[in-house]
Amino acid sequence: MSGVGSGYDLSVTTFSPEGRVFQTEYAGKATDNGVPCVGVCCKDGAILAVEKPEETKMMLPNSNRRIFTVSRHCGMAVPGKLPDGRQIVSRAQQEAENYKRFYGETIPTKVLTDRLANFCHVFSLYWHLRPLGSAALTASFDDDGPHVYLSETNGVSYRYYGIAVGKGRQGIKTELERMKLDQMTCKEALKAVCKCLIKQRDDSSNKKFEIELAWISEETGREFVRVPADLAKECEAAAKKEIEQEEDDDSDMEG
Amino acid sequence: MIPHCQLPSHIATGPHVSPFVSHNEAGAPYGDHRSEDVHVPANPASVPFAVAPSTDKGEVAMGEPRKHTTTPYVTGNSVLAIKYKDGVLMACDMLGAYGSTKRYKSVQRIIRVNDTTIVGASGEISDFQYISNLLEELMTQDFCYDDGCTMTPSEIHAYLCRVMYNRRNKMDPLWNSLVVAGVDKNGKEGNKSFIGSVGMLGTSYTDSHVATSFGNYLSRPLFREFQRDDMSLEEAVSLMQEALRVLFYRDKTSINKFVLAKVDGEGVAISKPFALDTKWDFKAFMNPSKHAVGSW
Amino acid sequence: MSRWSPYDLNGGTCIAIGGEGYCIVAASTRLSTGFSILTADKSMILEVNDKCLIASAGFDGDRSQLHKVLTFRSENYEHFHKKPMSCPAMAQMLGNTLYYKRFFPYYTFNLCAGLDDQGRGCVYTYDAIGSHERVGYSCQGSGKDLVQPVLDNQLKAPSILELPPKVAVTSLSQAEAIETVKIAFSAASERDIYTGDAVEIFILTPEHGVQKEILPLRRD
Repeated sequence: MSGVGSGYDLSVTTFSPEGRVFQTEYAGKATDNGVPCVGVCCKDGAILAVEKPEETKMMLPNSNRRIFTVSRHCGMAVPGKLPDGRQIVSRAQQEAENYKRFYGETIPTKVLTDRLANFCHVFSLYWHLRPLGSAALTASFDDDGPHVYLSETNGVSYRYYGIAVGKGRQGIKTELERMKLDQMTCKEALKAVCKCLIKQRDDSSNKKFEIELAWISEETGREFVRVPADLAKECEAAAKKEIEQEEDDDSDMEG
Repeated sequence: MIPHCQLPSHIATGPHVSPFVSHNEAGAPYGDHRSEDVHVPANPASVPFAVAPSTDKGEVAMGEPRKHTTTPYVTGNSVLAIKYKDGVLMACDMLGAYGSTKRYKSVQRIIRVNDTTIVGASGEISDFQYISNLLEELMTQDFCYDDGCTMTPSEIHAYLCRVMYNRRNKMDPLWNSLVVAGVDKNGKEGNKSFIGSVGMLGTSYTDSHVATSFGNYLSRPLFREFQRDDMSLEEAVSLMQEALRVLFYRDKTSINKFVLAKVDGEGVAISKPFALDTKWDFKAFMNPSKHAVGSW
Repeated sequence: MSRWSPYDLNGGTCIAIGGEGYCIVAASTRLSTGFSILTADKSMILEVNDKCLIASAGFDGDRSQLHKVLTFRSENYEHFHKKPMSCPAMAQMLGNTLYYKRFFPYYTFNLCAGLDDQGRGCVYTYDAIGSHERVGYSCQGSGKDLVQPVLDNQLKAPSILELPPKVAVTSLSQAEAIETVKIAFSAASERDIYTGDAVEIFILTPEHGVQKEILPLRRD
């Protein structure tokens, strides 16, 4: 019990004297320390990408999914705690289905993401609940075109041109800012996104990584689907090659 | 005061019997403020078409079960389906009849469920639209599973059987006869055609050819004679057209505006509305109003 | 206007005959409603396992449901008990399942037939609400009034009224019993419009398990 604010981090229903709710901030750290997830909005669609370290050699590839389909026009990547993320996904699926049943139209992405933010927020209002250790990175294509939203565990939800969460997010964000996303097609952006993810890898560990890619664009018929395995592999390989090329160039210049 | 006249209730309707009716007797709840020459039935319940909420026999009475759909309103007629060499064909007209009135003439009664399945319905149109919504939700859920497989026609048929049977168990039936048709691509020995039917009680069956309502009388005999599982698309289409034509000639509540749907290994195709050539120049048809004075 | 009914009668006849060392279960395949035929090829026999079959006439919707429930429960039984359900066990459970819906009955008329522990044919006959009795042979469905007296006359089984009670299986040989079933069905299809098209005949023996045979009937 020393320092200002100490002792105020045990309850989600108590503010610290500076007006912070530490538990929600800690919950945010769960996503910050989780696997990196990227969402970008291009001129003809949107992409979600997640980089997952291979947890064990015995695990079958593609069995620890982090990208889920919410509705035909909408999908979601969940950083942080996967079980918490699945709660958000299943809520999102229900919201999308209910909206469609009631209004006969697909749910606008803003409505969906706001509702999800509200859903997350509720968990930071009661003493008997624990905030969710995840977030919802949503990509969709509705009547207003492609969207990328991030609904966070503290209850905020913003729309982005491109956003990254999880480990190494700062580096990826900087890379994204350099890209001209609104002039790129999804196909072009795939490689660029892979590049961002590969670049921030921690080279010191010899871990293997798997990149999960999904997109929604005019090309996919405005349906949220996984990027075909061969195309995903191709993009990843091309990205790797470019990075190596750049590194070679750098070392040449130094030499 | 004129003594109360004991006319049978079905005669005591028009204003002309008003003198026999006392306005002030019990059972004339809204008689007081009206002028004397306005006819107000003494007991609304005894008068056809008069509605008094408290006495209306259509309302829920104590001790009686709750009333659900007891009769359909807007209905579609026969749906036909046959297997052929590469898949299945399904056809029906586009009429939504309100009793004997041809009320809606562009009702789509065949829907595409997924790449391998179509569903057609006769019976209550609103119930079918509800079923369409159920199927769309089911397919969205299937899409969200994202597991690389989709529901087969026989699975969708089984699902619909449960839905129909479940609603009949609640004494609240969906007033339809449904036909599910499609191609199962998961089979070991290539594509397998499927046609199944389910009625509003949950009675279900599968066969090489199916026809609902009037079609069971008029088209099934044609199918029994001419349908073969290995017939070509051309043969199947002309058999289907012949069956539709017979239905149009003999089924009063049908119109000459049809839809034909096909499922094969390539997917689902549902035609634009079309009409069939018909021949009406039989002698008796030539001038039907000849002997009907005042007709046109 | 008459009230809507949740029931229908889809016709069809089924026969089961138990003998020493065999059991025969047969049912017609026509599905009708009113005066129309819905399909000529719908089975109304449920193969629970190779010791027990259930044939149900009556309303098709309830039959599908009943067969689904019974399949589910017999599978569960197998998982729990590590053995298939015996015919007498299934017979008791079928009775309970029917009686559970005493006040909204399954409108089905069942025969539960198979082989008992001694490998002898056993037949149970039911009403729609679950009362049942073990017999040597029985018949249910739209043609039962035509067929049952023929069976009584032809099967040479000891009467159930006899005291002390005897096992009521027929003394006919398997081949003779099958022939009797075939004759009974072709006779029934002559007079009963709801029996026709074809009849599925299942023969259960301890040696050969379940064998199936199909006999075509009148299609009119």
